[in-house]
Parts: sequence; C-alpha cells; structure tokens
Amino acid sequence: MKLCRFLYFAFALLLFSLTGQAQTSNAPLISGHFTQVKLAQLLEQLEKQSGYRFYYDTLQFDSLKIDLEVKDQTLQAVLEKVFKNTGINYAIDQQKNVFISKGVVVQTALPGGYFGNTGEKRKDTLIVNTEVEDRKDETVNPNIALLENKLFTIGEVNSANTGGITVAGYVRDAKTGEPVIGASVYIENPRIGVFTDQYGYYSINLPKGRHTLLVQSIGMRDTKRLLLVQGDGKLNIETQSEVLALKRVIVSAEKASNIKSLQMGVQRIDIKTIKQVPVAFGEADVLKVVLTMPGVKSVGEASTGLNVRGGSADQNLILFNDATIYNPSHFFGMFSAFNPEVVKDVELYKSSIPAKYGGRLSSVLDINSREGNKKNISGSAGVGLLTSRINVEGPLIKDRSSFIIGARTTYANWLLNLLPDQYKNSKAGFYDINLNINHQINKKNTLYLTGYLSNDRFNLNSDTAYNYGNKNISVKWKHIFNNRMYALATVGYDHYQYSISSEKNPVNAYKLGFDINQAYFKTHFNYNINSKHTMEFGVNSIFYKLHPGSYGPTGKESIVVKETMQAEQALETALYISDKYTVTPDLSFEGGLRYSMYNFFGPYNLNNYAPGLPKTEDNLLGTTPYEKGKILNTYSGPEIRLSGRFALSTTASIKAGYNTQRQYIHLLSNTAAMAPTDIWKLSDPNIKPQYGDQISLGFYKNFKSNTIETSVEVYYKRIKDYLDYKSGAVLILNQHIETDVVNTQGKAYGVELLIKKLTGKFNGWISYTYSRTQLKMDDPTAGDFINQGKYYPANYDKPNDFTFIGNYKFSHRFSVSLNTNYSTGRPITLPIGRFYYAGAERTLYADRNAYRIPDYFRTDFSMNIEGNHKIHQKTHNSFSIGVYNLLGRKNPYSVYYVSENGVVNGYKLSIFGSPIPYINFNIRF
Amino acid sequence: MKKILCFLIPLAFAISCKEAYNVPSPSPPTGYLVVEGFINSGDGPTVITLSRTTKLYDSVDIVYEYRAQVSIEGENSETFALSETGNGTYTSEQLSLNSNEKYRIHIRTQDGKEYQSDFAAVKSTPPIDSISWKRENGVGIYINTHDPLNNTRYYQWKYEETWEFHAAFPSSLKYSLDETQHPYAVEYRLPTQGTDTLIYKCYQNINSTSITLGSSEKLAEDKIFLPLLHIDPGTEQISVLYSIHVRQYALSRQAYLFFDKIKKNTEGLGSIFDAQPSDLQGNVHCISNPSEIVVGFVEVSQEQDKRIFISRDQVPDWGYATGCVEIALDNNKDSIHKYGEDLMPTMPIKIGPFNSIVTFHAAPRICVDCTLRGSNKRPAFWP
Repeated sequence: MKLCRFLYFAFALLLFSLTGQAQTSNAPLISGHFTQVKLAQLLEQLEKQSGYRFYYDTLQFDSLKIDLEVKDQTLQAVLEKVFKNTGINYAIDQQKNVFISKGVVVQTALPGGYFGNTGEKRKDTLIVNTEVEDRKDETVNPNIALLENKLFTIGEVNSANTGGITVAGYVRDAKTGEPVIGASVYIENPRIGVFTDQYGYYSINLPKGRHTLLVQSIGMRDTKRLLLVQGDGKLNIETQSEVLALKRVIVSAEKASNIKSLQMGVQRIDIKTIKQVPVAFGEADVLKVVLTMPGVKSVGEASTGLNVRGGSADQNLILFNDATIYNPSHFFGMFSAFNPEVVKDVELYKSSIPAKYGGRLSSVLDINSREGNKKNISGSAGVGLLTSRINVEGPLIKDRSSFIIGARTTYANWLLNLLPDQYKNSKAGFYDINLNINHQINKKNTLYLTGYLSNDRFNLNSDTAYNYGNKNISVKWKHIFNNRMYALATVGYDHYQYSISSEKNPVNAYKLGFDINQAYFKTHFNYNINSKHTMEFGVNSIFYKLHPGSYGPTGKESIVVKETMQAEQALETALYISDKYTVTPDLSFEGGLRYSMYNFFGPYNLNNYAPGLPKTEDNLLGTTPYEKGKILNTYSGPEIRLSGRFALSTTASIKAGYNTQRQYIHLLSNTAAMAPTDIWKLSDPNIKPQYGDQISLGFYKNFKSNTIETSVEVYYKRIKDYLDYKSGAVLILNQHIETDVVNTQGKAYGVELLIKKLTGKFNGWISYTYSRTQLKMDDPTAGDFINQGKYYPANYDKPNDFTFIGNYKFSHRFSVSLNTNYSTGRPITLPIGRFYYAGAERTLYADRNAYRIPDYFRTDFSMNIEGNHKIHQKTHNSFSIGVYNLLGRKNPYSVYYVSENGVVNGYKLSIFGSPIPYINFNIRF
Repeated sequence: MKKILCFLIPLAFAISCKEAYNVPSPSPPTGYLVVEGFINSGDGPTVITLSRTTKLYDSVDIVYEYRAQVSIEGENSETFALSETGNGTYTSEQLSLNSNEKYRIHIRTQDGKEYQSDFAAVKSTPPIDSISWKRENGVGIYINTHDPLNNTRYYQWKYEETWEFHAAFPSSLKYSLDETQHPYAVEYRLPTQGTDTLIYKCYQNINSTSITLGSSEKLAEDKIFLPLLHIDPGTEQISVLYSIHVRQYALSRQAYLFFDKIKKNTEGLGSIFDAQPSDLQGNVHCISNPSEIVVGFVEVSQEQDKRIFISRDQVPDWGYATGCVEIALDNNKDSIHKYGEDLMPTMPIKIGPFNSIVTFHAAPRICVDCTLRGSNKRPAFWP
C-alpha cells in the first residue's frame, strides 16, 4: 500500500506540476482545530486549504497523533508548530511542494556555484540528503516523483561479490501493468546499459556502490532510480505512459540506443509511429510502415511481400509472438495480417541477426503484440471504410494475469455490389483474431499463451473461389533462475493453408488445396555472467509437414481425378550460443554461432535423375520409395553471427557485422508479386537449401542531445542456390517440381542512409537507399541458362529508393502527416519483337528483366484529430482523415503487352491510379 | 486472375487503372524465323507458313519468308518436298505417312541457313463428338470430345465463324448520277423493280485469333467439355444464321506447353498475380547457328472438324438492333443534294403518275449496302 500511496503522489505531482495551474501569490492562511488526528488527515486538510502538496512516507509517520488549533496562520507557521520538537523536518520548494522527512532535511535550493563545473544553469533543483554521504552526482529533478528520490538498497551489505552485481527486474507501465519492451536501462558513469526484452525484463551488471539507474523508452516518460548496490537483487520499475502529459513532454525515444546498442541494421517501430503514417484506406499497417525503412522494398502496391536488402519475399522470417506467419497479407496484399490494435511494436533485423533466429536468409521481422492491461478492463474499436476492428483487454487476476483479444473483419461486399453487373457475384472478405493471455505464476515463472487465426476468401464473379488462412498457437514459459539467468521454453504449432475451387464447369469442378504445418519447440537461455559477458544459448527445433497440393473433384458430375501430391516432412534443429562481450564501455563485440541441421524424412518417393545432367523430365530415371521415418538426406552447417561496436564519442559510433544464414524452405513463384497461390517447398535431395552471407558496416551519429539520429550503413551480400523459375514453369501440382526451378547465385549490395527525429512537434524520418540485387544462372549441368548465364536484375531490384515520413503536431489534438516515396521502377521482361502466329500477332520475349517500368512516386497526406484528453472520461475518440496518393499519379504496377483481336497492344497497369480519400473513426474505452 | 485487375479498379475508386503504354526505347531488329503449321498425317495437304519476327513497332504487319526450300523428312530417310504457294506458305501433296515412323521438317532459307524440327511421332486425333451451345445471356459454344483409348490428353482447336447478315433496309432504288457524278434523282435498280439481294444478303467470316487449348491431364477419362467462345447477346452473329466450323488437333505434351506459353505470353498478362512472360523454345532449331532463336513447333498430327449452325429462331429474344434510321426525301435534285448526298436510297414511298417516284426513303450506306461489311458470295456450305 505504501507503493500505492507513493504512486498516487507521483501522479498527483505530475499532474500538478505539469498543468502549471496558476496559484495566488499571496500565501493562503490556514485555520482549523484538530484533536488526535493522524498526520495524514492533517496534511490532507492542509493540502485543501493551502493548495500545497505534501510528500512523505506514510509508514514513517503513521503512529504520530497531533493536536492543533490555528487561526489564519501561514502554512509555514502551522508546520513549524506541528513539527516542533518532533525531529521531523519539512522543506517547501517554489512549486509549492512540501517534503516531510525525519532526521533529514530536504534542501530545495542548491548552494551557489554547485554546478560551477558543468556550467549548466538549472533552477529548482533539489537535493535529497539521505543517510549516505553526499555525492556530487546526486542531483535529481524535483518534478519527478519521490520514487525517483528514494534510495533503493539492493542486496545484502555483506554479500561477497567480487565482480559485478546483477540487478534484474521488469519495467512495466504503471497504468496497465504491461511490460515496456526495448526500454533502455542504464547508468551513465561508468556507461553500462541494457535493453528490456520482449517481456520488459532486464538484467544489468553494476559495480558496487551508488548509482542512478536511468530508464528511457518510447512513449514512456523517462524515469530513474537511486540505487545502493551491495549485492544481487531485484528491482521492478514502473514508468508513466505519456498519456498523462498535458504540457509539453519530451519523449526520449530510445535516446542514444542506436549508438549504444551492439546491433546494426535493426529497426524498431512502435505502434504509435505506425499509426501516424498514412496508408491506403486508413488502416494502420505494420508492413507498409516497415516498407518505408531503408533497405526494405516491395515489388508493388498490392503486395506486402518484403524484399529486405536484396532478398526475396520468402527470405524473411515473420514472427508474430514466436509464431511463423507464412502469408502476412489480407485482401490481395492491401492490408497486412496484423491487427494494429494488438501490435505493440515491430523489430526488423536486416544484418546482425541474433543467433537465436534462423531459417531465413534476409531478415527477421519480429512483431510483438501487447500484453493485456493488468489493472482494468479496457479496449478500443475502430471503424473504417473497409474494415472494422475491436479489441478488449483486462486482468484475469489483477496484477498477475491479463488477456487481450482483438478481432478485425471486413465488409467490402457492399463495395463489390456497386461494381458493374459482371461482378455482382463477387465476394471478398477476411477476418483475423488474436488472443494473448499471460499469467504470472509467481515471481520466477510466467506463462504466455498466444493464438492467431486469419482467413481470407475471395470469389470473383463466382467463377473460382480462393481461400487462405493462418492458424497459430503457442505457449511460452519464462523461468527466472536468478538475477543472472533466465530461460524461455516455447512450444507451438503454425498452420498455413490455401485452397482454390471452381464449380462453374460441372465436368471439371475441382478443389485444389495446399498447406504447411509446423510444430516447434524452442528453448532459450540468457546468462548474464558478469558486467563484461552476457551469454545466450538454446535449441530450436521445427518439424515441418507440408502438403504440396491435393486436387480433387467437387460435385457429382465432376470427372476430375483425385490427385494428391505426396506430403513432405522434415526436421530442422539448431543449436546456438552467443556472447556479448563488453571490452570497455566504448568497445564491445557479439559473437554467435548457430549450427543448424535439416533432415528430410520419408515416407517419400524420390525422383532420381541421371547424374551430371540437367534435371529435366527427359532425364528422370524413376523414383525411389523411402519408408516412414527414414531420413532421405541431411543438410547441416554452421551459421556465424558477428558484430562489433566502437563508440567514437557519446553520440557517435561505428559498427560492423558479418553473418551467414541457411534456409531450408522455399517459396516458388513465377509471379511478380507474392500471390496467395504461391507454393512453399521444403529442401529435399533434389532441391538444395539456400545459403547467404552478408558483411555490413555502419556509422551512427546523433545530434541535438540524441533527438536526431543519423546512420549510414553499407552491405554486401552473397546468395547461393536461390530458386528461380525456369521459363514457362508449372509450379502447381507438379510431381517433379525440381525440373521447373533452377538454382541461381546472387549478389546484393547497397548503402542506406537514415535521418530520424522521433521527438518534438515535428518528427519523422528520411531514408534513402541505393542498392542492387542481381542473380545469375550459369551452371550448364542445371539446364538452359537464363540470359546467357549473365547477371540479371532480380524482380525487386530497385536501385534508388527515397522515403520521407513527416508528422507535425499542431496541438495534442491535431496533427498532420505527410509521406513521400520515390523509387526506381522495377525490372520487367518486355517483348523485343513480334511475330504472327495462330491467327494473331504475338510478342517475342528474350532476356529476363531487361527493362524497367517507369519510376514510382507517391505522396500521401493524413490528419489525425483526437477528442479531448480528459483522463477520466469513459471513451476517447479519434478520427483520421487522409488521402492516399494525393497527387493521383498513375504509378505503374506493371507494363505488359497482349494480343487483342490479332494485334499486339501495350498497357500500363496502375493499382491506385487516383487519389484515394479515407476516413477512420477510433474509440478507446 | 485477370478479373482481379478489373475488380481492383472500382475498389480503388480509380477511374482507370489500365492505359495504353508504349515502351519509349526502340526494340532491336530481330528477324528470327517463325515456323507455323503441322505435318498432316490425315487427309489433306501439309501447309507450313514461314515468316520473320519484326520490331515491336513496325510499319509492316507480317514479313513472309519467300523462296525457301521446305521438305518433310522421315526417320527412314524418305522425304517429301513442299512447294511455295505464296504469302510464305509451302504446301505438300496429300502425304501417306507411316504411323510408326517419326517425321520432321527441314528448311533451307534463301540466306542459306538450315533449320529443322525435332522428329515427332504421328499423333492421331479423335473425332469431335459434338459442338454444343447454350444460352448464357448470349450464347456459349462448347466442344465435346473424348479419346476412348485415353491417350490423346492434349488438344488444340481452331475455329472459323461464318454468319449471314442482312442490311438494315432492303433497297430497290439507286441514284441516277449526273455528268459530275452527283445524284439528281432515283431510279430502280432492277427492271423488276424488286429489291436487290446482292447488297441485302451478305456473309461475314472470321478466324479465331486466340489459341484454344484443352487438356484432360487431370481427369479420369480423356474427355473434354470446354467452352470455346461466347457470343454476346444482340450481336450480328446470330441476327440471321450463324455457323462455326471447329478443327481439332491432338498435341504432344511438349507442343501443348509451347502453345500454352505463347498464349500466356500474349493473352494472359495484365493482372497482378499473372506469371511473368518468358522466352519461347519450340522444337525447331537453326542447325547453322544453334544459338539463333527460332519460333515454332511442328508436330505430326491430323485434323478433325465439325460444323454447326445456329439460326435466329433458336435464340428467342436475341435483341439484335441495327441502329439504322431511314429518312424520307423528295425525289428532286435540291432535296437529294441537301439531305441525301451521303445516303443510299432504299424504297419508294409515294408513287406519282406514270409510276414516277415522288418521295423515297434513304439511309446511310452502311445500313443499306451489306457488302461494305461482308461478302455477298454465298459460301459453298451454306444451307
């Protein structure tokens, strides 16, 4: 209860000091008669009458009873009278705060010249003289709650720690009890810092003695704790979210974390930033915002397939709370599959991928959902033109377990009804549901349950119906052994399926199905050895079962033969270990090794090809059956993850990294965009895993007390055995798919520039990337060369890419956002000539991707209008109104030539070829 | 998947998302040999057409290849020469091929280069079971066929549509022209004063321009029931009598894939999830220069055909309308000069003394003279 009381005062103080309410300059006079009242009651009265605020430790004074009679006296006189001969001291500062303490005098003003050395001029600085001898850096801001002034003693005095001492705990939002992810927890002298993980957990090694532990995080107010560190111990820290701010608040968005963190090529975006960026139809979209980051591209507007640093769309590991999402898009790629109301933040690893992740070449996109509010039931809802969403969250057991459930659905059918008659039978829709439950069993054990379900269906003019969906569930257990070590164990199941059916022609009526299932088990240990070494190690294991296609009749008349492609099964296991080594505060390294092993299992009938010859149908010799559980083949190899950082100053650092990756599952596609009907294929004896390595170097510099971050990163990447399709490939229901794909070797390189300002009235970022991605197929034993064996640009090779995202806050209730994007047109295969065949002109194609579509340029604009910010009203409303593609530029998605009535005509296809206005209404309760 | 495109247009409130576009960069001169046709193992001659690829934008439509030497070679070294028959065509006599042999085409072009196709086995084509049609707003025409031996599997169809149509208005009149070739009066076309059927009843004839393929690969029986084409309601095709003549060819799997690729490359593009176009490799190669691109796939096959008729009576409420309007004119020079110069007279309205025409009807030429849009030569097969 003591804590609650403190908290109350913390809130009160914040409110009070920040609202800057005008007080009369004349000191109010106090009158009253009190007999045997507790100090608390008395002070409450005094607060009422005087308008001053009191801060004190309730426990310290709860036995004190007071008799008092005063009439028209000043506060000072009253206090003088009350505390006379009690040994209790009081101090009043200029903000009308009164600090009451026993034995210690709170000084509200500094001795002159106290800051002489730094030359800073600060007003209203307060010193808390505690039992400890005075220390020069013991300066704290008076406008921060007493929590920050309290000295926390960590550990036993006599603990015999020779090296560093570990302090660990959770950083949580004081209001909702949710963990604060990625908060920077650090001390400044010596410079030691860590970040909270996705559970808000931190573990920091500190030398013995007094420290000021600083905590900074996006969207939360900075806070600090005074520590007297004597031995290992725990400290949970609650921080205030920004919602309380009624006056200007400086939010330190991971101040300096880009300088201090070891990782490079990492982008973290929180949902607040995501929601500010205008997108088509106004639905805050995680993936669309990730696309504005340097080094991230997509082939076109109706695609959420990401191409990170020259990687293809399947080379990204998309994790939603540990679950792998195979198809992250809804509605032809116009929406991403993640409900913005449930997402907390997104992390994209482009180069230093931690050793705990693996299985994809290019990047890891880690999407974290929020944990539910642990204190109250709350929720939000939004209504847009095409979708609506709702989420509800709240405690199951107060302060210990909570849930959050979010759902989204679309009602685009009304729109389809407005279409011309020929589409009147069209239907399209999707929904997704998220559920997260977390339960703190005790201080050392926490359980997390995550469920995700999504489904998309569309049916254009009742001809062919498409359907696809993700299903994911996982349970995670976090166990804290001690301050230095914790472990995570996760089990889960991911499922992705699609199906296509057509019943128009009864004879051929069919249904085609495809699905991927994977069950996984992960354990992860984090061991904080001492202040210089932090180790992580663990095991990941994924069992894949893939049904590459089943094709069967529907309806009585159908004579379609049921054809089921044989299932593929494999086990991917990886062991990893990594160590973060802080040599000096300025120099640190992280080295990781991941050893992955992949076994492809029977039952399977393996196609045999004549050795040394291209894998073609002509060279197919026969098949070898393998029994259930029999290992057909094994691929394995080490993956290296290295990174290093050297701080040039407190605001600049240089980082370098090298990492290698292996990928055992491939997406086969011969379409430009990631289509819902693309199939995934496991590596088998005929299809080699992909391998890639990347070397990168970055320079980071912050300006204006870390509010402006800039970075330059360069990279060079090699890709081995990336699967590209052969000309005219048949990918669906192909019993010998290896004859239609070909291994290509690739290289990618680029430079990425980013200037980011996430604070202030004007915030946003500018990014520019120059990059190239080229592939080559010159292996004569693999079949015909592509483009005569020369390097050819990959589909997503867009050398120049520029993005500007800007937000300007006119007030807390009104802000505008503008974003602009320019990129080189993507490569495309265009005809080089024409000929006359089968009664019509036909086009002649030769080199793949030899031309480019015209450049892309788009500007979007949005306005966010919020209702009032009174904290105690039942609901909070906000509107967002905007225009996507403000200039109405007809950006080409593709250029193509078709033979129509015997004549070849060229066309340019734009997806959003005119300005698209939108409006969204959101409500929070 | 093409529908997605059109579907997205209104979804995005876009007025148009597809617009004509021509690549600004000039395409290279190509001039690769294009070989079209098949070695006919059934009745009838073998016709091979040779042409050249052209620039993407070129003033000429088709560049035929003249003065080539074309022959059919059997594995057993028998040869049959083809003779040039104009417009790039080379035609053989009726061939008597051995169905157990394989055959190929051999070409020596004027510039001395030699080309040949891969040897191909003789494929027999099952007869067309029926061509059926049903009302689907307009008319949908379907092909039905099957191979009792279940080994044809891949099919191609070509078709030719022919229809009779009538001018909007019958005409018994024509203008009399003065010495400056300007009309000044009307006169009867025929001594009988009846209507002139030569400009009233015409025939239109078009060949299929798309590649129509079918496969029973995934079916239990080698049985095909596929839509061939759709005739929109109210169109001229079935305004009187319509006929479709369908020719069916059995294909090998390789040939099927080749045609399918041409089809995808030239007909099936333009939507978001379409496969990307790819280069084309047929079974004809340049022996003189193996890296030279040659377009074409020559098979040994036979042709099966069938014709059906659909008359106006069979499609009630077809809703055909010509959109033509007649006006009445006085039979004098001023009136004709003022209103009727660009029209054609149709029928007299008012007959004066001595059978003279006082007023008459006239309509735009296109509404009166059917030969402007078709031929008045009745096809031999017309009932």
